[in-house]
Amino acid sequence: MKHLMCSVGCCVLLCVLAPLAGRADGFEQRRDRVLQVAAAEQEYNLMTVLAKLKTRTDLDRAYVVLDSMAHDRAMGGMFFAYSMMGVYLHAHDVLPDTLRVKIREAFRVRTMYRGDTENHWVMYYTGLYLAAQTWPHDPGTAWFNGKSSDENLVEAAGWLNQWMHTTVTIGQGEFDSPTYMTVFLCPMLLLQEFAQDPAMKTKAGMMVDLLLADFAAEHLNGNFGGAHSRDYPDDIVNPLSAPSTMWAWFYFGQPAMEQWNEARYRPRHRGSWETVFAAASSYRIPEIIRHIATNRAQPYVHREKKRVRNVIRFSAVKNPPVYKYTFMSPRYVIGSIQGGILQPIQQHTWDVTFSSTRTHNTLFSLHPFASGKELAMFFPEEQKFLAGEVDRYHLVYTNPGKWNSSSPYEQTFQHRNDLIVLYDIADGVRHPHADGFFPKTLDERVVDPTGWIFARWDSVYVGVFPLSGAAWIEDSICWRWRSTSRRTGWVVEVRSVEEAGTFEAFQRSLRSRTPDAETFMRTGSVAFTTAGGDRMTFAVNGSRNLNGQAVTFKKYPLYDGPWMQAKVGEGVIRLTDGIRTRVLDFTTGEVRER
Amino acid sequence: MQRCSVLLPLLLLLLLSDGGGAANALAGETIYMSVLSSRAHAWGKNDYPVIGLFVSSDAGTTWVHRGWREYIRMFYTEAGPDGVLWSACGNGVLRSKDDGATWRITTGSDVTEVMRLCVDKGDARRIVAATAYGPILSTDGGERWRFITEGLPARFSGDIIIDRVNGTLLVATEHGIFVRSAADRMWRRSSMTKDTRTIVQHATEPRVFFAGTEEDGIWRSTDGGRTWKARNEGLGHTTVYALATAPGTSGAVYAATFGGGIYRSDDGGNSWHQRSAGLTVLDCHAVQVLPSAPRTVFAGTLNGGLFISTDAGETWNFNSQADGQVWGLCVRN
Repeated sequence: MKHLMCSVGCCVLLCVLAPLAGRADGFEQRRDRVLQVAAAEQEYNLMTVLAKLKTRTDLDRAYVVLDSMAHDRAMGGMFFAYSMMGVYLHAHDVLPDTLRVKIREAFRVRTMYRGDTENHWVMYYTGLYLAAQTWPHDPGTAWFNGKSSDENLVEAAGWLNQWMHTTVTIGQGEFDSPTYMTVFLCPMLLLQEFAQDPAMKTKAGMMVDLLLADFAAEHLNGNFGGAHSRDYPDDIVNPLSAPSTMWAWFYFGQPAMEQWNEARYRPRHRGSWETVFAAASSYRIPEIIRHIATNRAQPYVHREKKRVRNVIRFSAVKNPPVYKYTFMSPRYVIGSIQGGILQPIQQHTWDVTFSSTRTHNTLFSLHPFASGKELAMFFPEEQKFLAGEVDRYHLVYTNPGKWNSSSPYEQTFQHRNDLIVLYDIADGVRHPHADGFFPKTLDERVVDPTGWIFARWDSVYVGVFPLSGAAWIEDSICWRWRSTSRRTGWVVEVRSVEEAGTFEAFQRSLRSRTPDAETFMRTGSVAFTTAGGDRMTFAVNGSRNLNGQAVTFKKYPLYDGPWMQAKVGEGVIRLTDGIRTRVLDFTTGEVRER
Repeated sequence: MQRCSVLLPLLLLLLLSDGGGAANALAGETIYMSVLSSRAHAWGKNDYPVIGLFVSSDAGTTWVHRGWREYIRMFYTEAGPDGVLWSACGNGVLRSKDDGATWRITTGSDVTEVMRLCVDKGDARRIVAATAYGPILSTDGGERWRFITEGLPARFSGDIIIDRVNGTLLVATEHGIFVRSAADRMWRRSSMTKDTRTIVQHATEPRVFFAGTEEDGIWRSTDGGRTWKARNEGLGHTTVYALATAPGTSGAVYAATFGGGIYRSDDGGNSWHQRSAGLTVLDCHAVQVLPSAPRTVFAGTLNGGLFISTDAGETWNFNSQADGQVWGLCVRN
């Protein structure tokens, strides 16, 4: 409460300055810059084509590429469907008639695979919605799927409305993904721009607000902090290289660098340039959201409830809940989800992320789990066949050294800036070890005789107490902590210089609160007293207790923190920064501000 | 003339190896091969292999692609008694009334990842499909569909068939096989409780069914699917993704296994012998007997394409779709 009041107080001050900051924010310059730079690119994708068309640059090449892509079978169905419609609608006035006809024809003769993930479906139905309203009254013979324009529009609108309802009542499935946020934002930006139905147009705009606010609340100077449903190893170990950094720069003005010019942070999907869709859009981020993203005057806890993507077998529940907990501070973020299989393949369960422009500004642990049965929970093909298939696309799924993974043998318990993560790995598991990532870019890494590992990143200190022995393996970018004990875990405390004083004082404090690893190995239970005097106890497959009280997830909110509040099931999300309030009311399809 | 010189020896070879059956096949049987994907297929590559539906009307000598050429997650295709084609796909249940030239997705957004389907041989308008979200039924030729999940403990269904004699439905689930008679509105549990991947009705003995499971081998029912018994003698690979029976009461039964290629039983499924000579990929997902030439058998592999045997599985030769994932095979006669 005290933190909240401080936070609100600071908000009042900052909000007075906000209008000035907004004008000086430079959004329009960044918008122009994206279009200008992307227009100069020679890459073979629809976003750079759109940039050329919007800026009237190199139109001949834009037409050639667009013509080619209308035929290119390498373009996947749902990615093609929404982005081709985006180009068509944004640049309709400069497209030759021949190209307009070819794009229309593509929706008759090209395969539009719908996909099997939430982002696939959002892209597919956005593309279908926009195409069906653009070419109304056509019979089924004019469409790839044999359905008329009216049928396609009704089906697409129905699915999109249902997805929005699900997202604002029980949470997003592919939540908080530094990569996949792009393919939710872009379709919603297109619907917000071009949907002819006013209700759809408004709700899509509200979804853009929500997706950006959701990111903003866990954003720290270009980093998407905390746990992620889906993340790629390169981005996990080097957070500023994720596509989310480009979005942070574009909408929040942080970090103050052009990602595409920074070899250290060049995003994996650099060639995609999806922010062109944002730059071409008339959508403007509400100042309150930009403020949420950038005001880090005070630390705070932000909680969210999400859901597991559709579990199709080996579970009685289709969308089990995900409980997300993030502690934000001016210098670092520590965040987690509760552990277990909450997403296949690319789950990132917890980390500490430091606010910094140095590379590899993160620290975390995981169990590199891989199982055909895990994949078969989410994909319909045969479980013995799936692991090899996933390796074809994601390359690392069965790799014992991978840096992204869900695991049924991993559980977390976080309280503010303290976290306990436990591993209790069953016999016969493919990779029976736990790994920890300590970047070489740390300023200090000290292995203390007490068992604590002390790490320092600028003015941020991390104490890690491993609950079992482990080996250190030197990798190119990190020191890999590896425990081959089936039962292991970490007790983690993070503090900044403002919170703990000197690094030496931080170490002294933790030495006096050393957990009992022997008891943990014997009983599976560990207790830890935080620097704030709170007593955390946590047992493998047992309860989480704080100061003797069981911590349950029963009343976990959809959003709860100083910036965002919403109850599960209500469909009303309240954004606030202390002075301004913006209510996204999906039950009425209205935005209320005061 | 040159074409004749190539085809004639091939025809003679088929006649010699198959007792003349293949010649009959040339006259009337159509094989539908559903190629899910290909090892050579990867996002961002421009050299996409053609995948989807391939049709042969000459016992696998030649194949013609029909319909969508790109990835749509086509698991299985079957022709109804009226000639209408039905495909079980990621996008739903697809229907073609013009032999695969054009298609309509007959299902809506609620139906996805359709694994298998079956058209009632006695009523072409009655179709059932197994989907990731439960079995669905249409009784009006695919105009409308509804989920039929009453009585099922879990929704995912990997295979579904219609008893060709009495119209009873049998569905394969992770909790075993469930039966739903035409007069019943509920699925009833059979004695089979293993994670079942495939069910097949015997070609000539309609009360006999075989089921393939995930790691629990092959099971047989002789009472229309109500009770089941394991029949695994000699079966060295117990994950079975497809089964096929040759016509005749003493006909062979074939099992497509993961890791062990094809197994054959010559005693009605009591005992099994591995018959994989010539299969370069032993992860199999489809097997089909040519009814008119029962010594001609096709085996669909995962990432190795289609293989053919003209000696009842004793030897196999590569047929087509190198690197292809041949997920489903169906013969219409």
